[in-house]
Amino acid sequence: MAQRGTVQKSVASVRPRLDAESLAKIRPTTLSLDRIVEVPDPLRPLFPAGGVQRGWNVGLDGHGSWGVGMSLLANGLGDEGWVAIVGLPTFSLVAAASYGLRLDRVIMVDEPGPGRLATVLATLLEAVDMVVLSPYYRVGTRDARRLVGRAREQETVLFHLDGGTSWPTTLNMTLVATTLKWEGLGQGHGHLRKRLIRVEASGRGAGAQNRSVDIWLPDHTGPLRAYKQSPIGALSAPSAICDGVRHVPSMDRAW
Amino acid sequence: MTVTRMLTLWCPDWPVVAWGVPLDEPSVVVVANRVVATSPAARGKGISVGQRRRDAQGRCPEVAVLERDTDREARNFEPLASALEAITPRVELGGAGLVSFPTRGPSRFFGGDQKIAARSRDAVAGLLGDRGLVRVGVADGSFAAGLAARSASAVVSNTGASSIDQAVPFVVPPGESREFLAPLPIQTLGRDKLVDVLGRLGLRTLGDFAALSGGDVVGRFGREGQLAHRLACGMDEYAPDLRTPAKDLSATWLFEPVADRIDRCAFAAKALADELHGRLSANGLACIRVAIEAETENGEHHLRLWRHEGALSAAALAERARWQLDGWLQASSSKGKPTSGVARLSLIPDEVVPDSGRQLGFWGGRAQRADQLTRAVARLQDLLGPESVTVPERRGSRAVADQISFVPAAAVDLGAPRLATEAEWVQEPWPGQLPLPAPTKVLNDPVVVDLRDATNKEIGVSGRGELSSEPAIVCLDLVANVGKQIRNRVVAWAGPWPTEERWWDEGTHRRRARLQLELDDGSAHVVVIEHGQWWLEATY
Repeated sequence: MAQRGTVQKSVASVRPRLDAESLAKIRPTTLSLDRIVEVPDPLRPLFPAGGVQRGWNVGLDGHGSWGVGMSLLANGLGDEGWVAIVGLPTFSLVAAASYGLRLDRVIMVDEPGPGRLATVLATLLEAVDMVVLSPYYRVGTRDARRLVGRAREQETVLFHLDGGTSWPTTLNMTLVATTLKWEGLGQGHGHLRKRLIRVEASGRGAGAQNRSVDIWLPDHTGPLRAYKQSPIGALSAPSAICDGVRHVPSMDRAW
Repeated sequence: MTVTRMLTLWCPDWPVVAWGVPLDEPSVVVVANRVVATSPAARGKGISVGQRRRDAQGRCPEVAVLERDTDREARNFEPLASALEAITPRVELGGAGLVSFPTRGPSRFFGGDQKIAARSRDAVAGLLGDRGLVRVGVADGSFAAGLAARSASAVVSNTGASSIDQAVPFVVPPGESREFLAPLPIQTLGRDKLVDVLGRLGLRTLGDFAALSGGDVVGRFGREGQLAHRLACGMDEYAPDLRTPAKDLSATWLFEPVADRIDRCAFAAKALADELHGRLSANGLACIRVAIEAETENGEHHLRLWRHEGALSAAALAERARWQLDGWLQASSSKGKPTSGVARLSLIPDEVVPDSGRQLGFWGGRAQRADQLTRAVARLQDLLGPESVTVPERRGSRAVADQISFVPAAAVDLGAPRLATEAEWVQEPWPGQLPLPAPTKVLNDPVVVDLRDATNKEIGVSGRGELSSEPAIVCLDLVANVGKQIRNRVVAWAGPWPTEERWWDEGTHRRRARLQLELDDGSAHVVVIEHGQWWLEATY
């Protein structure tokens, strides 16, 4: 018995010792918790796991939620990803591009047609990383449940604009964006420059705890910023709006 | 060293010639508003390949601008290939206006390379007449033969020979391909990245590059360098593979009843191409030359060899089959139009190479994702119609709604980078645009808005661009809240910003003035007045 004990000991001593970092690298399985979509830094406090988990259903609600959604898309897409925008011809890709979304990674399905949304989504879930879904089309509860399962399996994130109220199953997380104030617009002068919004997150499971952050939605200086930082360029850069259209040829006619 | 001696026949400016435009009239063929081919007359006016369409039109206002039509190019080339088939059976079609065949048998039969070259030139030139030029080159290896054909035109201009029509064939004597290639610039290799590096290393000509030892080139530049080095040395790109491809790789489709319409053939070709591709990739092979063979009920055969510089993808194979059959089925009856529809269609891999391929990432690489997406898009188009799936492209415009246009996803290659989606695509400044940030929701069908001042009077904009009074209350009829009017107080506003667009054109003239409004519920909007009516255009 004593001999056996020494053999075991010697085996243990020759086993290579790895530090925690190397162990993390060679760990064979990838937990679903680790498969997350990156989010912009200012929004990170909203997500306990550090980002949107792949396969999640996320609802977006409130004025300014479209902008939050666009920044989530732009940040999470990566080099290989694709995003599909379904039933939303009003989704402004100019704005999305200004948040950093790559337009060569976008496909649009403007009119999924009545009763076909489930089929369209099932097809798209296999091919793209993120789907933005219009609230104006509906799917049945059974289809929705099946689609949620498919999304989890394919690790595709579904974003529901305007709160996902028309979606029959429970969402993993809802982000409500409320505009606290706008800057730049006066009584007949200036132009909209940026807005301070409060984003509140609620949900179930890992996203159960309610959290909120205040952020600046982007202006012409770049991506969105946390509220703590001092706003740069709030008063600089006079509006270039009237350049080139000052001389109006027919002044006698009303507009 | 065994190199196949090849004859290459090249019709310069084929995309233009295929349109049937006289060569002395300036004309250009464009793809996505870039010039891809020009007529000699257009070149004389300073138009060159790669220019933008408007630059070309700026240099020569009367230039005829033609859209590229690859189907037409292939269809019109078909009679020329048939004419060469009377000389030799093994005709290989290359890119636009390029055809080649091995000369060993036919030149012995016709009495030498010069004779066969002149004969094939005359056969094709006879068909083309004065519609296009023909250049013929003979050399060891198809790369050198292609360059010899291009040099044939130089021979004419150097000697000043009066035969403007067709140049003397350029024949490189056997075994001298390497010497012929040596003084040519390195750019003729056509691999931009590699050529760029070689140029910076001081290797300006093919001869400089060929002088390096093959082993060193492989060590430094890998497989691509090896292929390029073989070309520069006057060899074939791929060493002749003595393994003949196994017979069972070919894919065959039997039509029952016979197919007399091109779309049925094209459908079968697509399925065959997928099948062939599957078999090849299961064997780790890629096909660089494929024979497409069709047979009618009455036993008429039609066989063409197609070569591609890279490996032929399934889609490229299907496209070539469609070109070939299109040309054959629509030929005039005197030129060998088949007497019945197609009964059998085969794709036979003629020359295969080991597929070095591309290593996909563990989670699937870009190519795989694009493939998946292309399949998904095809399925959606079956379901919803061809225009239902679109991809965005940038356009220059003042109105936010017009800054992105949508093209059907089927019309673009989703796996390739697309220039029109880059921010640099729109270079011109557009004064009068709304400043950033851009509104996130842009209504394609604007919604009527009722804008009133504090005394509940309607608001207008005068001819001088001034508001009649300050806006205070706004009523929106939102699509999401049908039947429900939202009545909000205006907290802050700016404008009006008048724009008068296209006032020179009655039909598209728009005279509008915009306001930015911030409402008491925290939302912000752009409203626009046109003909005295306010509309909601966009929401932030």
